[in-house]
Amino acid sequence: MAEIDRREFLKLVGASAGAAAAAGCSEPVEKLIPYVVQPEEITPGLPVYYASTCRECPAGCGLLVKTREGRPIKLEGNPEHPVNRGALCARGQAAIGRTYHPDRHPGPLRRTGEGSFEAIGWDEAIALLAEQVKQAGSGTWFLSGDPGPTASRWIDRWLAAVGAGGRVVHEPFAPEALRQAASEVFGAAGEPRFDLTDADLVIDFGSDFLETGPSPVAHARQFAASRDVAEGEGRKARFVYVGPRLSMTASNADEWVAGKPGAAGALALAVARAAVDAGAGSAAVREALAGLLGNFAPERVAAQTGVEAETIQRLGRAVARARHAVALPPGPALTGRRARATAAAVLLLNAVSGSVGRGVRVSPAGAGRRASYRETLALIDAMKSGRVKLLLIGDGNPVYSLPTATGFAGALEKVPFVVSFASLADETSARADLILPDHTPLESWGDVVSAPGARSMVQPTLRPLHDTRALVDTLLDTGRALGPAVAARLPSGSFRTLLEQAWSDADWREAVARGGRFEPAPATETVSLAPGAGRIEVAEPLLEGEGDWTLLAVPSPWLYDGRGANLPWLQETPDPVTKIAWQSWAEVSHATAERLGLELGDVVAVETPTGTLEVSVYPRGGIRDDVVAIPIGQGHTVGYWASAAESGRPGEPRGANVLDVLPAATDESGGRAWLAARATLRKTGAHRRLALVQTSQNQRGRLLGEAVPLAALAAGDGHAAEHGGEHDESHGNGHGDAHHELLKPFDASKDADPDSSYRWGMAIDLDRCTGCSACVVACHVENNIPLVGERRSLEGRQMSWLRIERWIGEGSLKGGRTLPVAADPDEAPGVVDVRHAPQLCQHCGAAPCESVCPVLATYHNPEGMNAMIYNRCVGTRYCSNNCPYKVRRFNYYDYSRENWPGLLGLMLNPDVTVRVQGVMEKCTFCTQRVSAARHAATLEGRTIRDGEVTTACAQACPTQAIAFGNLRDEKSRVVEKSHAPARSYHALHELNTRPAITYLAQVKRGRVGEEG
Amino acid sequence: MVGLDRGSRRAFRRALFLLGGGALVVALLLALPEPRPVAAQSSDVARQAQAQAWDEDAPGPKQPIPFSHALHAGTYQIECLYCHTGTDRSPMAGVPSVESCMGCHSQFGADLEGVQILQQYWQEKKPIPWLQIHRLPEHVQFPHHRHVNAGLECQTCHGPVQEMHKLYLTPDTKWWPWLTPARKLEMGWCISCHRENEVTQDCFACHY
Amino acid sequence: MTPPPATSVAAMMRPLPAAEDSRSNRDILAVMGRPTLGYVALLLLVVSAVAWALGTFVYQTYVGLGVAGYSHPIFWGVYIVTFVFWVGIAHAGTLISAILYLFRAKWRNAINRSAEAMTVFAVATAGLFPLIHLGRVFKFYWLLPYPNQRALWVNFKSPLLWDVFAVSTYATISTVFLYVGLIPDIAIARDRSTGWRKALYSVLALGWQGTSPQWKAHNRTVLHLSGLATPLVLSVHSVVSWDFAASIVPGWHATIFAPYFVAGAIFSGFAMVLTVMIPVRRIYGLERYITDYHFENMTRFILLTSLIVGYAYGVEYFIAWYSGVEAERTSFWLRAFGPYWLSAWIMITCNAFVPQVFWFKRLRTHIPTIFVVSVLINVGMWFERYVIIVTSLSREYNPAVWGQYTPSWVELSILAGSFAWFSMFFLIFLKIFPVIAINEVKELEIHEKEHPGGEYWEHGHTYEEVH
Repeated sequence: MAEIDRREFLKLVGASAGAAAAAGCSEPVEKLIPYVVQPEEITPGLPVYYASTCRECPAGCGLLVKTREGRPIKLEGNPEHPVNRGALCARGQAAIGRTYHPDRHPGPLRRTGEGSFEAIGWDEAIALLAEQVKQAGSGTWFLSGDPGPTASRWIDRWLAAVGAGGRVVHEPFAPEALRQAASEVFGAAGEPRFDLTDADLVIDFGSDFLETGPSPVAHARQFAASRDVAEGEGRKARFVYVGPRLSMTASNADEWVAGKPGAAGALALAVARAAVDAGAGSAAVREALAGLLGNFAPERVAAQTGVEAETIQRLGRAVARARHAVALPPGPALTGRRARATAAAVLLLNAVSGSVGRGVRVSPAGAGRRASYRETLALIDAMKSGRVKLLLIGDGNPVYSLPTATGFAGALEKVPFVVSFASLADETSARADLILPDHTPLESWGDVVSAPGARSMVQPTLRPLHDTRALVDTLLDTGRALGPAVAARLPSGSFRTLLEQAWSDADWREAVARGGRFEPAPATETVSLAPGAGRIEVAEPLLEGEGDWTLLAVPSPWLYDGRGANLPWLQETPDPVTKIAWQSWAEVSHATAERLGLELGDVVAVETPTGTLEVSVYPRGGIRDDVVAIPIGQGHTVGYWASAAESGRPGEPRGANVLDVLPAATDESGGRAWLAARATLRKTGAHRRLALVQTSQNQRGRLLGEAVPLAALAAGDGHAAEHGGEHDESHGNGHGDAHHELLKPFDASKDADPDSSYRWGMAIDLDRCTGCSACVVACHVENNIPLVGERRSLEGRQMSWLRIERWIGEGSLKGGRTLPVAADPDEAPGVVDVRHAPQLCQHCGAAPCESVCPVLATYHNPEGMNAMIYNRCVGTRYCSNNCPYKVRRFNYYDYSRENWPGLLGLMLNPDVTVRVQGVMEKCTFCTQRVSAARHAATLEGRTIRDGEVTTACAQACPTQAIAFGNLRDEKSRVVEKSHAPARSYHALHELNTRPAITYLAQVKRGRVGEEG
Repeated sequence: MVGLDRGSRRAFRRALFLLGGGALVVALLLALPEPRPVAAQSSDVARQAQAQAWDEDAPGPKQPIPFSHALHAGTYQIECLYCHTGTDRSPMAGVPSVESCMGCHSQFGADLEGVQILQQYWQEKKPIPWLQIHRLPEHVQFPHHRHVNAGLECQTCHGPVQEMHKLYLTPDTKWWPWLTPARKLEMGWCISCHRENEVTQDCFACHY
Repeated sequence: MTPPPATSVAAMMRPLPAAEDSRSNRDILAVMGRPTLGYVALLLLVVSAVAWALGTFVYQTYVGLGVAGYSHPIFWGVYIVTFVFWVGIAHAGTLISAILYLFRAKWRNAINRSAEAMTVFAVATAGLFPLIHLGRVFKFYWLLPYPNQRALWVNFKSPLLWDVFAVSTYATISTVFLYVGLIPDIAIARDRSTGWRKALYSVLALGWQGTSPQWKAHNRTVLHLSGLATPLVLSVHSVVSWDFAASIVPGWHATIFAPYFVAGAIFSGFAMVLTVMIPVRRIYGLERYITDYHFENMTRFILLTSLIVGYAYGVEYFIAWYSGVEAERTSFWLRAFGPYWLSAWIMITCNAFVPQVFWFKRLRTHIPTIFVVSVLINVGMWFERYVIIVTSLSREYNPAVWGQYTPSWVELSILAGSFAWFSMFFLIFLKIFPVIAINEVKELEIHEKEHPGGEYWEHGHTYEEVH
């Protein structure tokens, strides 16, 4: 709403926002505040895009930052960027919130007492820091994540100049074991990178590459490409997931092999053995590994891994038959004390399958300084022993993300002076003596190496909102303040100029304009097995404690290592598997739940040698009986949304922090081990309701999330999907002929004004949808959708216009008496049948909601959209009652007042009305984007071209599962996509609502190694 | 003139005479040279203009600067888009930046009070807090560029600004085809125009 | 028929002099006498209840409907339930006054006044709820088709709009009906009152003198109004039922709804008349006018409509099964055995089973039984609407967003307030207007004089007993 937006703008420029009553005019008069000097690139009312880079995780995706009147309002992927090719994950979409966040430090702060700070000026702050540095000398240490190559170089130079102790890089999910393994197996220093594009068999040993892997967006794109059924037989890669828990990534697998936690190494070698037996692997590899593989006969391994020998044999045969099989090593959750050997084993499997150098690229040369858990632990020891006099903490939140058992917080107390550069308040900065806030990524300069050949640029897209300074500039000024001696050893100028120098080899202007310098990845010279490759020691993981359950600390797809917890969009988006929002939970198997007499939501005490944790349980079929899984990321005590402050309980943690009960274990080479403890579960008798946003994952055989068997697809059986995939009468829901009669075919493109050149529509490919929910967050940000928080999520009052519904198979007629219900037992090892179905307004041609609105607030517009006019709505809510898809949302409260605290209102999209209390709202097919495109087109006297306009959800999708366009344009991508007779269907077709959205049924590829 | 009684003939003659006279007057008026733009130095005109721009009795609120549209757009014949740049490219009407005012007024007019106030803003690098006159109701999206490019005069909605020293919302009311009046910039007022010109009447065109 | 003797004609034609005032006048007008302490206490109670409800409503309007129990996907709750409930109650009056009048069912005369009054008050109560449940109640007038500068029109396709018309029409007609019936009695009251009452009645009586032309006109008016009102009895609740039947919600989308709702409405209407009139008769000793015979006739009606309602319940389930539509089947299965099973069984028990006791003459004429049953029926009928609305919405087509609904204290306060509001009107009415149609009672008495052995004999009264 332009209104709010203008007011906030006034706040920004510091002018008075008050409305002055003017003479001769009864109603208050708004003020028009022009620019003093209008930047020539800015035309008020038109967006300006800047290319930058996402700093949410090490993947380093390229960004296009959409700004209006100098304020970023939306992050989109940079189409030119080789890593993400225009897409962005949920975390990337939500990242925009950091800049306007209420938790931001207003400026330099000095600690005055327990948790209390006073604001000071920069000069004073820098003098203070300089003084401390002078005193501390070599006792000065710098701890942070990876600030990017240029920043790193200058930080190191500065540390050297002031004679500091050194720098430690801490990145909780850094694949240290994998790097070690690579050097062990191939003698290569580089980090192996996996490319799934050409794979025809993917075996994931728990990397969860679609969620928190090394590069989720890139991997999602490659994964979809490798399985694209549209491209004929050749492109139907199989995907096997090996691991104790059916994660979101696993939900997209064809088969789930529920191996014991920590069994990945043995399984990998056993599969390799079976593959070799089936004739895989070059002579050299066979010869090198003969000895090792000898000990891993499937029969022997079967017992210790909990996987039948037959399965292992079958996978081995599949690997042998595959042209190009890629195996991915375990991610953090399954990184145990033997992580290096496990990763090595997986790399060996890749060597056997012959994909090293193709799908698995290992560059011999390492790239710069990398995260090291070993060094972090060493630093902690130094802190405890008082050898660290001054600790400078850059980005990252070690107090939270390090295992509590490492005693980092306690060690911090021992450090005389702690400086934090965090721009947002967190547990670490709360303990600092001095806070020198850095800019947020959207405000700062910087660079990132996203991938070999991809140097990405980070550039500011708005004037810093607060009194912050670039970290490197702060350090340089401090150095200069230390006197000429130090200053002489430091460069002149600001970080910006240093960055430009660092990029002197590239065309600076072009790099800034394009978001970096992108060259094809250098051809990696083929690496061969190192002599030691055959001598790796794979064994059971060593687990502390005596409990019956192995504790799995699962990286949260949204909160990552916890850094996402303060972004409400990520909290509000339900977990892709359990559909729980804003909370913590413990996943246990149904068997476990029965054994302990636990119902959904009952609080269970998880006890490890390190500590005890109380959390509600979520019983499900998709987890081994000997495992309890708790997501990482919740349990913060600082932060408006991260802690329970938003729920009115500041200082209290939101949810439970699993890191409290993890031992501070390391792997063979000092990398961080997450899979390190056994736990005992004890029923506490308490019950804490879980905010299940999706109350049931059983679709009862209704036409919502469909699937077709690959066979039917090959046979071109046009009715497969219309029947709802391989429906049989088993779930007795009247599918079959009688049911089929009801599915009257229709032409959605007719449902618009005859004279209109458009009928907007959508095609959603369930075979490509991985459930990553990037679209959900994109929709939230684009459309100013309110975030309702934990309490109201529990009340079932979420506002999201777009949700991903997770269906387990066709479902059954069981259940429904009590709600919410946990995932069905149908989730079981073996063939995976989970469908992710994005559900949004279907913009029906015969919309039930339209006919019942007494005031015509919702109606069918000439371009075939189901329009919703907020300011006409009186709130009878009949439309929502009558909507079979239940995609309409009601404003129970005045969210416009309470939902954007502080400066957060600045990120509202000025092209979209902020809805008031008491009105309905729903997906508009991003009509503001369509209007913008229509204006542009009409001014050029033409109609909108295909691809000229797309919705926020379609734009964000890493797998391009969503296509939006004009159904009346025969050549449009949406028409082409929705024309798939064997797979296309319409949600709840039998109600004859004539939806504008065509779904393409998911393809069921069946058990791996059994296809003809 | 056969068949006409005297009275009618007299009436007819009178009519002819009036018509002729009228034609003559019109011809004379047309023959007159149109008023030439008054040069910048004629600052008494300007002085009057700015006095009227701050005239307490004139309708409309008092702006922070006695800026006269009548002087700029009327007397000097400056194109609207010259200052309100971007209005033909963007949904938003551009409010000229202080810089663009100074573009001219750094050259002349320094003797005028208004310009002095302007220069003060410029020196303090502060924006001018203009009071908004033409304010759409809430929840409406109005794309200026579409209307400007459709060949609408700015005056259609903003009134004869080129004649206003002090800006105010010129009253305008449409009745037809409804029984109730729609005041200027109210929805019915927009719709009536959209109906006359047979352009979209889709709610979604303005409300989203 | 033989012309009535002059005396009685005279009795009909001019008001009796106060000296020899008839017993009916005295008895019935006595009700309007000085309020007792109990009455005042009761009135205060209901007024304060109304005030409380009003307060909560203001609170809800300010804070937002979030304070009600609504949660996705259940967007209608107690408010709409109560709306339908009161519209149902409103049916007895018009039925008794109009339809029974046309059928010349004389026994109606003693109860029609109170029934009509209840109708008006019930509609006045019902009419509030569609507004209370609006998200933006201050925009309620957008539901009315009036010329506006926005050139916006209402959606005549929407059942909610039909409601607006149906209910407002019904309110108008029933008010007129009540008033026209009152005129002669107001005249009687006028002739026997002083002070402000006199002034009030003089205005309201429209100069009624009981002259023969006036009586003619009066009877003709009543006849015509009855003719007008009769179709309304059927139409109003049919339209209300279409709010549901016209949707595609499983559990709502049923063709049987119109007759089903009308029967239910009459059912609940009669129950409410009994619930109210039994105490009134007791307190003001009107046994002479409202006799057990009247109550018995009403129980017969209740028995009949109960059977219809019970049948409708059966048909609903049958069709759900017979349709073979899984969503329908599930919806109804969970209605009976799901989270809302209790409401469902309360509804079936109170509405279909309990009234069956009226098969027995003993119970039909046993006042305490009648009272208890009538109260149970009111409860049952409220739950019927609760079950239809809430259970259907809670289990719709998309299982991903199946939900649960529990009324909040705000909704319950306003529900309680609605009963208080209704009672408040009725209590005031008792004191201002004759609660029994004096003129019609007299008509009966005269009728009796002329034709001994008429209806009055049926339950053993002799003319002597009556006088």
